[in-house]
Amino acid sequence: MARGRHWVALWLVAFLVTTWIVYARQTAAIRTARALADLRARRANLDGHRADLERRIRTGESRAVLVPRAQQRGLHLPSDSEIVLIPAPGGSH
Amino acid sequence: MAKPAVRLQVVEFGVFVGLALLVARAAHVQLIHGRRWAEEAQAQRTERVVLPARRGTLYDRHGTPLAVTQETYHVGIAPNELRDPAVDGAVISRRLGLTARTWQEALRRRYAYFAGPYSALEVQPLRSVRGVHLESVLNRFYPDPGVARATIGRLGDDGAGGSGLEKMLDSLLAGRAGAAVVLKDRAGREYESPARVIAPPVPGLDVVLTLDGELQEIAQRALDDALRRMDADGGDVVMLDPGTGEVLALASRTRGGSARPSAFTDTFEPGSIAKIFAAASLLALRRVSPADHVSGEGGTWRLAGRTITDDDPQPSLTLADAIRVSSNIGIAKFAARLEPEEQYAMLRDFGFGAPTGIEFPAEATGRLRPPSEWSRPSAASLSMGYELSVTPIQIATAYGALANDGLLLQPTLIREVRNVPGGVRYRHRPEPVRRVVSPAVAATLRTLLRGVVEHGTGAEAALTNFPVAAKTGTARRVVNGRYAAGEYTASFAALFPADKPQLVLVVKIDNPHKGSYFAAQTAAPVTRSMLEQTLAAGTVALDRARLSTAAPRAAAAPLEDGGGVVPYVVPWPYRPDSTGAALRLTVPDVTNLGMREAVRRLHRRGFRVALRGWGAAEHTWPAAGDSATVGSVVTLFAQAGGHVARATPRAPAPAPVRRRPRR
Repeated sequence: MARGRHWVALWLVAFLVTTWIVYARQTAAIRTARALADLRARRANLDGHRADLERRIRTGESRAVLVPRAQQRGLHLPSDSEIVLIPAPGGSH
Repeated sequence: MAKPAVRLQVVEFGVFVGLALLVARAAHVQLIHGRRWAEEAQAQRTERVVLPARRGTLYDRHGTPLAVTQETYHVGIAPNELRDPAVDGAVISRRLGLTARTWQEALRRRYAYFAGPYSALEVQPLRSVRGVHLESVLNRFYPDPGVARATIGRLGDDGAGGSGLEKMLDSLLAGRAGAAVVLKDRAGREYESPARVIAPPVPGLDVVLTLDGELQEIAQRALDDALRRMDADGGDVVMLDPGTGEVLALASRTRGGSARPSAFTDTFEPGSIAKIFAAASLLALRRVSPADHVSGEGGTWRLAGRTITDDDPQPSLTLADAIRVSSNIGIAKFAARLEPEEQYAMLRDFGFGAPTGIEFPAEATGRLRPPSEWSRPSAASLSMGYELSVTPIQIATAYGALANDGLLLQPTLIREVRNVPGGVRYRHRPEPVRRVVSPAVAATLRTLLRGVVEHGTGAEAALTNFPVAAKTGTARRVVNGRYAAGEYTASFAALFPADKPQLVLVVKIDNPHKGSYFAAQTAAPVTRSMLEQTLAAGTVALDRARLSTAAPRAAAAPLEDGGGVVPYVVPWPYRPDSTGAALRLTVPDVTNLGMREAVRRLHRRGFRVALRGWGAAEHTWPAAGDSATVGSVVTLFAQAGGHVARATPRAPAPAPVRRRPRR
């Protein structure tokens, strides 16, 4: 009788341990998947932020923006005679 | 009452039966219907989804993205899941740009869906809002939609390439979609699991184009300005690197502002810019010598029932004169020395009547009829650029052959193809098509073209310090199969610099209405403006070290050392007074001043500066104390490299000759 209870207890413990392992693995998997989704969202957010910044930089650097502003400050696009390529002695720059 | 042992046996039997039934049922569930239940359970916990592949990015030659694929979002809202519709509604409305009325309507629905697409930035604050469901989708973006729009093209409704390079390169850019099983939690939210990917998506390849973003902007702005100023129907600009065949910029516009890829798809009769190809035949076949003259016929000549006229009649012309003043009579008379087959073969060798092979869908072939279909005046017409239709890209490619010592290269828009880790899968190498003329003939032809700019019809394109070789062309336009009165195509093909060209530039203006319609007054100044902007742009793909060795026009004093150069744009504060007559000022004495300070003093006085040598300033030409016109070029000789120059100083080159309008 006592030996039978030991067996029952042993099986019960084995069952509980197995169940706990399955539960723990599933929980970890879900948690990891959730973290992965969060990271993906964060990356997408950063990608979007970068693209937005790059677009703004390009717009700011474009001739359509810079040339009128430069002209307002009395500057102008140089003609070729105003562009001087200064030769460096001995090929050094 | 039965004995306890019997009762126990009954209970044991009952438990046994119960357990047996349980085992039987378990066996029934597991063994007989196990597969079905497993599938059902799987379906409840997981879902099979298609993983779209990221479409490859298109870059310009400097790595600036021109077309990128980004993750965007559709937004679904379940109003009954919102914790606080008022508070959440304010956040959602602000992020999605919804009006109060739209939001109220959304609240009345079971499920509101906003397709957007919204960027990751816009939806970021909504991720934590309960009741908001985000559906990610990959979308194609063009960071600067106006840049090379017609060339890059767009995607079709099915997400595949619909036009332009997006269509041509679709098999490279598209990648391959994958498949995965995603996990779902009890709320139905999906979670990716790396272990459940059935087939990973293969991202598309990235393609680096040959286009130069800055040159592209220069070309587009110059073309837009020209069309607006001249009230023209449309136009094209092509910039090409003759050494590699790489197309650096392509701009096409119509009057309404639409951008069609007409540089590839629309043909036109080139007119006088094709005269150089008749000259190529004559020189290659030695049918003309430099001393040969033909009569100018007083500007009017009848040939095969057709009257040929010149806008600038000359008593007699050499081949160089015929090219320089763009004489129809001269080139037609010289071309009569060619057999039709020879003339046809040369035009064919330059690539006319055949697609260039550039990577663009629906490239037009143009028209070049074989001699068997020619009429009597065809030879003369072809020598003048008529009875021939070409695309701007064909003209640029053919002039590229002149620049490239007679070797015709296949033009290309693709510089590199890269995979996602950045490995290069393909890199463009110049692809020779054929040798059209010998290097010596090509050099002679470039000399003829240089004469056009220095003393001929292309004077408006002349730069002060850099030689340009070019040809003007003003051709009548064909409308409904007939030459339309008063309608012209003005075109200009230039090589920059003339000696060792780094850039081929073709400008075409369709039917300018305001002012002159001659290419000399329309397309040529646009070319000069673009060249000046190109020189001033630091990032443009020009080899400035080679540029500096090109003989300057302003003064021919050679440098002692052909060493390297530092590209440096000297700011010039002088602004000419447009109301004043030519003002003359005394040239300041800048002897022994540092080069920078000397240049600055000359600029302050209003002079332009051409620099010879390096180190401290030694003398100037005109000399200190002499007077010179404000805006004219003063050559500054420095102490190092300037001694030889001092012995033989030359006067600055004369200002470009301004002639009456010609074709």
